[in-house]
Amino acid sequence: MVDLGLLLKGFGTVLSGYNLIALVLGSFMGIIVGAIPGLTATMGIALLVPFTFGMSPITGIVMLLGIYTGGIYGGGIASILIKTPGTPAAAATVFDGYPMAQKGLAGKAIGMATVASGIGGTFTALCLTFFAPILANFALRFSAPEYFALAVFGLSVVVSLAGRSPLKGLISGALGLLIAMVGLDPMGGFPRFTFGLIELTGGFSFVPMLIGLFALSEGFRQVETILTAPKVKAVLKDIFPKLRELRACTVTFIRSCVIGLIVGITPAIGAETSCFISYTEAKRTSKHPEKFGTGILEGVAAPQCAENASTGGDMLPMLTLGIPGDAATAVLMGALTIHNLQPGPLLFRDHRELVHQIFGGMILANFMFVMLGLTFARFFARVVNIDRRYLVPLIFIACMVGAYSINNVMYDLVTCVVFGFIGYLMIRYDYPVSPMVLAQILGAMMESNFRRSLVMSSGDPLILVTRPIALIILILAVFATVTAIRRQRKSQQAQAAMETPT
Amino acid sequence: MVQPSMKKGDILVALMLVPICLYVFYESGKWPKQALIGAPTLIPWGVAFVLLFAAGLQLVRALSGKSLTLGEPLGRANRRRVIFIALLTGGYASLVSYVGFLITTLLYLLLFGLVVGERRWTRLIPFAVIVPVAIYMIFATTLNVPLPSGWFR
Repeated sequence: MVDLGLLLKGFGTVLSGYNLIALVLGSFMGIIVGAIPGLTATMGIALLVPFTFGMSPITGIVMLLGIYTGGIYGGGIASILIKTPGTPAAAATVFDGYPMAQKGLAGKAIGMATVASGIGGTFTALCLTFFAPILANFALRFSAPEYFALAVFGLSVVVSLAGRSPLKGLISGALGLLIAMVGLDPMGGFPRFTFGLIELTGGFSFVPMLIGLFALSEGFRQVETILTAPKVKAVLKDIFPKLRELRACTVTFIRSCVIGLIVGITPAIGAETSCFISYTEAKRTSKHPEKFGTGILEGVAAPQCAENASTGGDMLPMLTLGIPGDAATAVLMGALTIHNLQPGPLLFRDHRELVHQIFGGMILANFMFVMLGLTFARFFARVVNIDRRYLVPLIFIACMVGAYSINNVMYDLVTCVVFGFIGYLMIRYDYPVSPMVLAQILGAMMESNFRRSLVMSSGDPLILVTRPIALIILILAVFATVTAIRRQRKSQQAQAAMETPT
Repeated sequence: MVQPSMKKGDILVALMLVPICLYVFYESGKWPKQALIGAPTLIPWGVAFVLLFAAGLQLVRALSGKSLTLGEPLGRANRRRVIFIALLTGGYASLVSYVGFLITTLLYLLLFGLVVGERRWTRLIPFAVIVPVAIYMIFATTLNVPLPSGWFR
């Protein structure tokens, strides 16, 4: 169970000295990153991880949590103002946010988006605080077969739900698994796929690779559209939502919070999925569904609330089981390991105080972006117009400096650049990047636990299906894969039907 | 506007995956097989089989005209710009340790600005000077992370 004393102490730690400054800075930068179309929260975290090296673990983590929550929220600003989602998670905010801006209600839409995101984020952070210790305690009973099954489940969801084509998701994930194998064998200690290069004996440097795949690749994407970025001329007024407006959205908030939390907990899917589900549900259950899409507050509140409600859900499996909920939490997990913190149930046993500080940080990060979002809404609206000819080279330099500064070796810089370009080509040709990264984390977990299971059972693979928890998780993995294949077939049939001339 | 198919790209990727899988089979076949370290070849072989299957499926789908379409076609000017930036970035990564962070970054930012169409020197030059100095100061003094000094060593 959560220790309320430690939680209060955690709030105190987060609100003191450098930690508070880090939280404010992180939230501020997160909103900026989110508000600029093309820059995602994942990219923001990847980009700023190196800046946390010199900080104490909690200061660095609090800053990254600020970027994460602020970045997810910030995407809605561009959705409302220029009909271009700042982040994929804010795609559904466009439907009603932009029509509101066209009616001269951009300020009202941004205000509602801010409060809705804050409500969703705070709800999910509280759920994380209360459920994570319980799950971590339960996970202490897990052994190698259960962890293997969890990794398989995570991989099946990662691969099958990614992108337009599960086949490309599968290729991306399988390549990620192979990349995870480069280096010394985890149990035998012999080199694998190193081509005799001494630098590869430790495997590919994870954080430079993350920076390359998530941040530099987006930088290359930005180069494509550098001269065609849309401009905004909206005047923001009535930013603070009225109590009456908030009360009218109460049911929407509750529904979106639950949707966001459930979607978030599911491995590999996060805010970008929950916002659409929430919007569709809000429209389906509304007394006036015909008004959705014309610019109504509920249409802004539903996706924004759900996207931030998925953040805590995404954090839950990452912190308790070491399985990232989505790409952003995969990067956060990388950042935690840099600070010598290994996510998983043992983190809750060995670093109880720090875990409660993280909970405190997560809750306060949501309050922080609401305060900053409402206070500096006009500034963030102007950020959308930032000149890309200066922003993009800054991103490139920040990526390369960040990658280099991890170990001060050129090999990391080269890794970042190479994977940055590979990531760009992958995005260009519709190969989702997230499965590759998540597969590296889950692949290492899957392989080592599979082999440990075999050693435990003297080579009998039946151990993986004779333990009830492992078996249930493996059945869920099969179910997830079959469902994804069926869904893909249906969408292909629908596409073919649309293309057939009548 | 008609969106181009990814057929060629899909075929190319599928063909590139085959030698990767074959290499996995080849190298993992040489690994030790003691019971004490589990079965080190099993997972790599499984992954390579899955990858080979996926590559085959992608090839068949591409050849039978079932490739997806590209989201946004890349115009010639944009493609040239991306290639220039990629080369510039590759050059930066290979030169920065020899020439040093400050000079390389200054030149990189100037050239980057020119490639993306910035001709206002009064903005570009201060930007190219201030950014490397500011980053150097932040990393070297505040974060205690030394950046390559190159010729100034």
